[in-house]
Amino acid sequence: MIHLQVNRLEKRFGGNHALKGVTFEVKGPELIGVLGPNGAGKTTMTNILDGAITPSSGTVYLNEHRIDQLQPYQVARAGLGRTFQVTRSFRRMTVLENLYVPALALGHAQGKAALRAQAMEVLEFLTIDHLRNEYARALSGGQQKLLELGRLLMLDPDVIVLDEPFAGVHPKLMEVIYAYIRRVNAAGKAILLISHQMDAIFALSQRLLVLNFGELIADGPPDVVKNDPAVIEAYLGAEEPAK
Amino acid sequence: MASSDGGPAMRPEFQRQIPNAAGVLLILFFALFPLVYTGGNYDYVMHVLITAFFYAILSASWSMLAGYAGQFSFGHMAFMAIGAYTAALFGHYFWITGEATGLCREIPFFGNWLVVVNPIGVTSTTLDQDCLRQAMTAWDGSVSVTRMPIWLGIVLGTLMGGLAGFLVGILVLRLRAAYLALFTLGFSEIVKAVISAEIDITRGQAGMELPPLFPDGVTLFGQAFGPTDKIPPYYAMFGLLLLCLAILTWLARSRFGLFVRALREDQDAAAALGVNTTRYKVVVFTITCAMAATAGAVQAHYVQIVTPNMLFLLQMSLVVAMAVIGGIENFVAAALGAIFLQIMLEVLRTSFTIGGVEVDMTTWRLVFFGLLLMVTLRFFRNGLIAPLIDRFRRAGVAAETVEKRTATLTGPGGGPHRADAAEVPE
Repeated sequence: MIHLQVNRLEKRFGGNHALKGVTFEVKGPELIGVLGPNGAGKTTMTNILDGAITPSSGTVYLNEHRIDQLQPYQVARAGLGRTFQVTRSFRRMTVLENLYVPALALGHAQGKAALRAQAMEVLEFLTIDHLRNEYARALSGGQQKLLELGRLLMLDPDVIVLDEPFAGVHPKLMEVIYAYIRRVNAAGKAILLISHQMDAIFALSQRLLVLNFGELIADGPPDVVKNDPAVIEAYLGAEEPAK
Repeated sequence: MASSDGGPAMRPEFQRQIPNAAGVLLILFFALFPLVYTGGNYDYVMHVLITAFFYAILSASWSMLAGYAGQFSFGHMAFMAIGAYTAALFGHYFWITGEATGLCREIPFFGNWLVVVNPIGVTSTTLDQDCLRQAMTAWDGSVSVTRMPIWLGIVLGTLMGGLAGFLVGILVLRLRAAYLALFTLGFSEIVKAVISAEIDITRGQAGMELPPLFPDGVTLFGQAFGPTDKIPPYYAMFGLLLLCLAILTWLARSRFGLFVRALREDQDAAAALGVNTTRYKVVVFTITCAMAATAGAVQAHYVQIVTPNMLFLLQMSLVVAMAVIGGIENFVAAALGAIFLQIMLEVLRTSFTIGGVEVDMTTWRLVFFGLLLMVTLRFFRNGLIAPLIDRFRRAGVAAETVEKRTATLTGPGGGPHRADAAEVPE
């Protein structure tokens, strides 16, 4: 069973105290929304989970293995995958090649035909299979976002951190991404969904984490969290929470 | 039916084979050329081609490093020089003799003696002042003195180049783009400075002489060739080029090629997808630098001299220009660019007269060369040859994308099913 433990994470960048004792736990295939104003520490937390930066103190355990001191590629192999706030497709590689990278990096013994079939299945699900031979740079911004999600499917991690998957995405593609998140969650993956899009977060999440100035100020079901006075004050501000 | 991208009306499956066919024809051409060429200046023409193959190895290996892996190293010539100097120093200082000299540092070696000659630098007016020459004078031909095998020096040069590439690869792990370029440039200057400064050992600017590639001659196709004949080194360098291209092809088609290209595109994203970017960065430095070193060692024996001048920045710029004009994202294109440019630079030596004004091409050729480089960079960012290959390799891709999209819009059935433009790597 998936078990992610984040214990008292601290991160300081010089005088900037970006994370202050963030602690939470993910058990099983939860779909968790992460909210917080700009500068709340969402991306810092993602980068620590992913291994891109090491925490000043605190620990992260994934399935009882400590991962906070590992390199990003080791974290990926341990079962945590992430997307980036700014799309990072391999632009001068074909769509299929983009998908082969994580599958081959894992080193699973798998025939060429099986690998290609898996990649094509992913592309069909994301509705971009007709682009398989195009260079990624030829894809639209939204299609590149889908491609990035497709690479995660090929990596097949236990925990997926999606950093702003809806930023700059057309409503039609948004539906595809919604379907993606629901399907991946239903397939037994835990998802941390970081987004500024309230409607998306509330529509999808079973649980919400709210960060503010590096502190975790709320952790619970969306209905409870959106009525939490601390959250309203810190994040939702003067605006009334969604119905 | 004409294809929609304006190309000739050929089936894409056929078009995709054209680069392979052209490659086979080119290999056949260069393999047979020395045997059938009957024009004048035979040795000169062969020399130009041998040099062209030498640059082609450097250009192709540099394109794997810079074009595929995105590591814009300006120290490639330093690794070439490390290979060349390793071969030179090894051949100069290590000998096998039948008896102990009593003068040199020496150890018993399978019934003979392995002699290490003492460095005497360039201050001496005669060359017979080192310990071995003194011993040989005393022996007066009564004791056998054998030089080390040429191939062993080349192998050692390759290993030293690979080792240096490995160490530099580790040192530049955290450096990107301009910082990497400056670091490797600095490394290259250090190698040059060390060679120039260690006059006692390397003879500094005077350079070191080497025996020819085949000091005792060689018999090819039932014909005996002397040490200075051009045909044996021609096939040696051409064979080395083919070997390097074969290794690069194998690498590019394997997951190694896939991963280093991912590394070039986005190091962080590749790492987040499980690619051990550190390992592939170091490995690509090691392999490409070892190739440059091999080429350097073979070339050193061919021209029979090494000097620190092979490390002039202009030399590195030449390799970069050759790769850029061919196309750095395709090592075959980079190799062809090197051969093409080397031949052009020689052809352009011919001065001519326009309206009574003589154009001295020995100086102006570099201007033409510079112009070609500027035009290529401005208008053909992936070089002149690589896009041509890519065009054939990716024949039908655009048309198929459109057909498939149209098919999904108009209903089931789908478009034609063609082979992928890129195969699943090994």
